[in-house]
Amino acid sequence: MIASHKTYKTYNKTYKTNRPHYPHHLLLILSIFQFFNLSIFLSSCTTKPTAIPTAFSETADSLVVFPDYRDVTIPPNIAPLNFMVTDAGASEFVASFEEARKSQESPCLVVGALADGKFDIDSIEWRQLLSDAKGQDLTISIFAHRPAGWVRYAPFTLSVAEEEIDPYLSYRLIEPGYELYRQLGLYQRNLTNFQEAVIYENNRSFDADNNHCINCHNYQAYDTERMLFHVRASHGGTVIVNGSEAHKVAIRHDSILSSGVYPSWHPTQPLVAFSTNKTGQVFHMYHPEKIEVLDEASDLLLYDAEANSVRHILRTDDALETFPCWAPDGQTLYYCSATLPESLYDAAASEIALKYDSLLYNIYAMSYDSITRSFGEPQLVVDAAGMGKSTSVPRVSPDGRYLLFTLGDYGQFHIWHKSADLWMVDLQASTTQPLMHANAPDQPDSYHGWSSNGRWIAFASRRIDGNYSRVFISYFDREGRDHKAFLLPQRDPEHNTLLLKSYNVPELTKSPVHVTTEQLKHVVLHTESTPAAYEN
Amino acid sequence: MATKRQKEQSIKGKTDKARNASNSYFSLFTFHSFIFHFSFFLLVWLWASWWMGDVFRMAREYSFYATEDTLMHGLWQQSFGLLWVIGRALLTLYRWPVVGGLLVALLLTASIGLTSYCLRLRPASPLRALAYVPAVAWMSWIAWRGLNLYYQQEPGIALGTLFLGIVVLALDAFIIWTFKRRVKNEGVKSEKSISPKPSQGLHAIIGNPYFSLFILSLFTFVPPALITHLRHPYLRPVTKMEVQMLNEDWKGMVETAHDNAKLSYRPIAAYYAIALVQTGQLAENLFDIRLDYDSLYVKGWSGDADVGTTYYLADCNFHAGLFRAATHTAMEQLTMNGPSLHNLKLLTRLALLDHDWALARKYLTIIDRTPFESDFVERYGAMVGDSAAVAADPVFARVRLTEPVADSFESFYQSPIFLGYTAVLTAGRSMQALQQSLMANLYSKRMPDFLMRCEALVGTTPPRTIAEGLVTQTIKNPAILQAFPQLQMNVQVFRGFVQNVQPYMKDRARGGIELFDQYRGYYPYYYFFGNLKATRKKEDKEHGGSNAGVN
Repeated sequence: MIASHKTYKTYNKTYKTNRPHYPHHLLLILSIFQFFNLSIFLSSCTTKPTAIPTAFSETADSLVVFPDYRDVTIPPNIAPLNFMVTDAGASEFVASFEEARKSQESPCLVVGALADGKFDIDSIEWRQLLSDAKGQDLTISIFAHRPAGWVRYAPFTLSVAEEEIDPYLSYRLIEPGYELYRQLGLYQRNLTNFQEAVIYENNRSFDADNNHCINCHNYQAYDTERMLFHVRASHGGTVIVNGSEAHKVAIRHDSILSSGVYPSWHPTQPLVAFSTNKTGQVFHMYHPEKIEVLDEASDLLLYDAEANSVRHILRTDDALETFPCWAPDGQTLYYCSATLPESLYDAAASEIALKYDSLLYNIYAMSYDSITRSFGEPQLVVDAAGMGKSTSVPRVSPDGRYLLFTLGDYGQFHIWHKSADLWMVDLQASTTQPLMHANAPDQPDSYHGWSSNGRWIAFASRRIDGNYSRVFISYFDREGRDHKAFLLPQRDPEHNTLLLKSYNVPELTKSPVHVTTEQLKHVVLHTESTPAAYEN
Repeated sequence: MATKRQKEQSIKGKTDKARNASNSYFSLFTFHSFIFHFSFFLLVWLWASWWMGDVFRMAREYSFYATEDTLMHGLWQQSFGLLWVIGRALLTLYRWPVVGGLLVALLLTASIGLTSYCLRLRPASPLRALAYVPAVAWMSWIAWRGLNLYYQQEPGIALGTLFLGIVVLALDAFIIWTFKRRVKNEGVKSEKSISPKPSQGLHAIIGNPYFSLFILSLFTFVPPALITHLRHPYLRPVTKMEVQMLNEDWKGMVETAHDNAKLSYRPIAAYYAIALVQTGQLAENLFDIRLDYDSLYVKGWSGDADVGTTYYLADCNFHAGLFRAATHTAMEQLTMNGPSLHNLKLLTRLALLDHDWALARKYLTIIDRTPFESDFVERYGAMVGDSAAVAADPVFARVRLTEPVADSFESFYQSPIFLGYTAVLTAGRSMQALQQSLMANLYSKRMPDFLMRCEALVGTTPPRTIAEGLVTQTIKNPAILQAFPQLQMNVQVFRGFVQNVQPYMKDRARGGIELFDQYRGYYPYYYFFGNLKATRKKEDKEHGGSNAGVN
């Protein structure tokens, strides 16, 4: 049964316990206890405050809160936005959530926190709160108990949108952008709670014979009925999932530069557009950026998953075509392309490396005839080179009106470029502009994707620490305006600080992946790749 | 009043009791047994805290332990993950080797009592020595692993296996104890007491407590110590230098390297060079130790032999001022080995040098989750957001002097990058950068590159080793003396050297060893007799058309 507002208050008056903080020399002893699940005996030493303080003063101090959920718009089905407040002098905290239309005397939700400032919001209470506040604003007041008494920080607002976000988010977790790999995997997070399921993981313990990398997961039209991901090195191939079946194919041919990457499923047909590239990472010696991914050669491929055949869409010497993306109607293919100077046609990687910042990618579109399976002539959509800039990762909104892409100073691997921001083309109005609120200044924002209803944008950003990418979600309203992005909530708000892996290529889907991890493991480790036939 | 028979029974009873006590399986509390256990405990404590103290201390640095699941998730999920987590938790006590060693000694001493009890070994029995076998075997196994105790291996294995052994023995002992109790309760005699035989001849010698203690100390200490000394002679010097580096005891590092000058292993040379950079002695003393490297007994993750370059690569890159390259190396180690204190501390320093405050704060938050690291967190936490404090740090200030002044890509240079990049440096921000480049060329015996860069020194008095390097080229290039006329004296010395070493030129490997004491630190000696294995490789590659340097 759904609880009323009164129930929230009653619930929060009951004592809730939290793990107390211990000095370091006790941690070892505690951990031994933890091994044997004896830590339960150590709980209930302290209790969180459960009610709004009756007497307090206002403070002009700015609130230090992580993640920064101030003034963001959230979906009504998102998991609790657990957060932590830092106030060195405070011994405990209280947060009250009030619907803006109601008075403070009857807050919807009151949550307490101990000196660590971590607010762990009850998920049932939270769900009810968002359900009631759908389309409304919530006012959040934070109270801190300092030695001189309780103080209240200036309240902030949390807007609850009407539209839900797709409940599943897939991503890869991997150490940020260096050459080696060991333990990595594809995971699927349920956005309505904190559950994270493994889609596929490579070897957990080091295993030289079975060591492999996985990347480029992609779904057809936000549905997990059809999906794919790549396996590199040992057991290499492309794993294609069709319903509850999975198999592995090898998209290779003498005329293809390398295996397909950056896939995009056709929205209705069993077709995947890939790019095929000769790329390599290079590492700066003295530069604000750390890494460049150089594109020596790139073409576009079309893979037929039913026929297991592949052919070139574009194969050129003078252009580097990459990041294909189907429009939702399946009649247009967008992609990025840079003109390669003639002097670099057959140049060594080191020569291209010297010109790394002169490669500028525009966005083009080609019409597609699904009957004849033929493509039209490329049409320039975004002339980034004309602006002295470069694009990557075009993604079209589900209604086909907006084209979201990343714009940076040069190159195409913008996830390592501090200049990279999300930009939007209104394909109806033919206007191009940056997202006004979702972008972070001086930090990369990239690998974005739309929700199936077009109201949410999930993307990877290194804005927290400049190194480890995290998933941010921005509301995109019906008027075509983006809103301040919020960090993917975690049960422990410090999770994003402690995690030493990056979130890669966040993809929203309407349903969980159908195949099991065991199935995928069997396909990767115990089956051979079926070579795709090349059609000239 | 007791009868004579009652008195006799009473005396007999006391004697049996005493005899049983002395033959008890777990007679820790008899004086003789106590002395043995305590002696063993002291010897093991000595081994674990002094002999292997620095080794375990560095194992701790290459390990990471915290109670947060987010940080330990990868380890928990592995086979035996719980055991490795426990091993790492116990290893944290090696923040102070005396404390960590105490734990190891207690566990190993406990293993003797438990083994005795489980195997029913009586103190008087010569088989009692079997009780020491598990402990000594574990110690020997630890010694056998050498750097692989933690390098490219799970660091929790060492103490995790010890913990597991104790648990198994304790469970075994518990089962036996329970069984014995049940049998006794059922009225069955568990055993016959054995009367000790009087000591005679050889038995008298073996039974002598001093002799036994001597044998015990040999048995306990010698096998693992010998293994370390013979198989991994570099292990203790390398880890000692690393611990000294943790304490920023640069002079101590130099002394340790000098004390082990004849041990020729790359990690020793690497940490020696780091200490010389920090003390400003690189251009004076680099060739004071033997540099003709022997192989390390280390294996990589795949089980194949590993040359061990990644062991010191990140540290060397950092101290060479190549912060981006150090970050690259450290991140790769983070990927391959998971987080370690050593790596996280280096990444913290690199983030601070880059003024990446948020990133530095992240690493410090993580380091703060591991026990006994508050000193590091406090010291470097105070620098977050304070670029003046970063600039004022003496170690940071020193490495800043050799930071590159222009961008390029790592892949343009020979590996290892701290040598490959430094050797071909064309512009630097300090005299230290030039000296470092000159020394990299002298070390790599890239004399044309060396001479080209020496042009910047014309009109100055070059440091000793650089002057000696110039002298080696005067025969081929007499114009050097016009540019550096003050080298005339050095030329005379060099000619004397050439005459003296002629007999050794046919077998330079042998000559290198025999002449080391006489010409230690003298560059011409290194030029002709040092780093021969790498020089041969270089020559082979050059014949193959590749421009490789010595590394």
